[in-house]
Amino acid sequence: ENISDFSLNITDCTQVVVPEEVFFTVAAAGILENLLVLIAVVRNKNLHLPMYFFICSLAISDMLGSLYKTLENIFIILCKMGYLTRRGDFEKKLDDAMDSMFILSLLGSIFSLLAIAADRYITIFYALRYHNIMTLRRALVILAVIWTFCAGSSIAIALFSYEAATVIPFTILFPLMMFFILCLYVHMFLLARSHAKKIASLPTSTVHQRTNMKGAITLTIFLGVFLCCWAPFVLHILLARFCPHNPYCACYMSIFHVNGTLIMCNAIIDPMIFAFRSPELRSTFKKMFCCAR
Amino acid sequence: MSALRLISNRTSQQALSNSDYTWEYEYYEYGPVSFEGLKAHKYSIVIGFWVGLAVFVIFMFFVLTLLTKTGAPHQDNAEPSEKRFRMNSFVADFGRPLESEKVFSRQITEESRSLFHFCINEVEHLDKAKQSQKGSGLESNTHFQEVPRSSGMFEEDLSSLAKFNIPNFVNTEQNSSLGEDDLLISEPPIILENKSVVQSSHWILD
Repeated sequence: ENISDFSLNITDCTQVVVPEEVFFTVAAAGILENLLVLIAVVRNKNLHLPMYFFICSLAISDMLGSLYKTLENIFIILCKMGYLTRRGDFEKKLDDAMDSMFILSLLGSIFSLLAIAADRYITIFYALRYHNIMTLRRALVILAVIWTFCAGSSIAIALFSYEAATVIPFTILFPLMMFFILCLYVHMFLLARSHAKKIASLPTSTVHQRTNMKGAITLTIFLGVFLCCWAPFVLHILLARFCPHNPYCACYMSIFHVNGTLIMCNAIIDPMIFAFRSPELRSTFKKMFCCAR
Repeated sequence: MSALRLISNRTSQQALSNSDYTWEYEYYEYGPVSFEGLKAHKYSIVIGFWVGLAVFVIFMFFVLTLLTKTGAPHQDNAEPSEKRFRMNSFVADFGRPLESEKVFSRQITEESRSLFHFCINEVEHLDKAKQSQKGSGLESNTHFQEVPRSSGMFEEDLSSLAKFNIPNFVNTEQNSSLGEDDLLISEPPIILENKSVVQSSHWILD
């Protein structure tokens, strides 16, 4: 391939630009929302439970993702305005730090979702022993282990990102975890179905043949949102690693900013489908805002 | 990302000698790419990826819907003894953990009992209705008669189940604000005793 002569054809894939106002608005909304969730959980003693701690962990990783994107944007603007050079050592280190923040956010999100799914699984299948299995201390220990592992791997991946080997486990981890979470939820569904069948077979219950859509919709939203928001960026990383000069790959990589905005949208949507479903949390919010007036 | 910049710098060094991209928005470089002679549409990866993702999500939705489908019972006029046997086996499924937990029933906090309280209560109600002998597994529900007060954990138990609409959270006569089509079973077989429990179940089924 003749890459020495480049020609900006009319058929070139130019970068799809997201307006900066949209970018910063979405990022700020994500950070604020997740911060609210954290404050609500901290302030309300009733919410000091393992379930809410895992939701907080998800909120923290979402906040980190939005923060990363905001800082990256600010960095680009500063480069554009000339305050920072593009190839200085300081900028490279700053860039590495920001990359590790992003990977930390992604890994933290995945593991938080896994923790939430496992917590629900234990709630359903080991309900009577739940409080012995998932004590508060254990939940905090689990979270500490998760975040230490994520921090370590994110720093390692950011430092050794030039090796081909680091990108592959990173991109394999992503679908693997999704699949595992899906299996947990499917097992819970199967229990719900067998339970429903048993109840339907009881004499005093009326005969119903209904599809219980709510559970399917809820779970599809959980996993669908996560996939749609993170998978484009993960694919971008893969393509940038393996085929940066392929025109098809280059066209995919031209929508990089849309992918980044999707990650920030994930930070906005996640609290809505996890945290705000709890009435206790919602009432805490109402109290917070009513007292503030 | 700087990682990407390092890669492209290494592989396309000679090409970048006279490249003078003005990166107004970017600070990473991919090197020149020629777009001559493309067989497929240039955004084919983008389109293919998103279509594939949408198909996968819809497929997953249909699989989950099928999983949660509750079929009608096979016989409508089954023998009462057969149904009693089914109920006994239903109780027996939960009977064993209940037996083991009997010892700890005083120590288990209220919240952890809440989940199976409904199952036990429901079967107990049917007991009264049918006046049939039950296994010893049900006697342990005397330990669980005290309905727990609503609490965060209780709500989370319910919420985690209610997301799959496990149909033993049902209406009572006291709380008539629950919509009928919120419930899997329109005619509730059990009556919840605690109003706070009812109030918790109110939001679950919306």
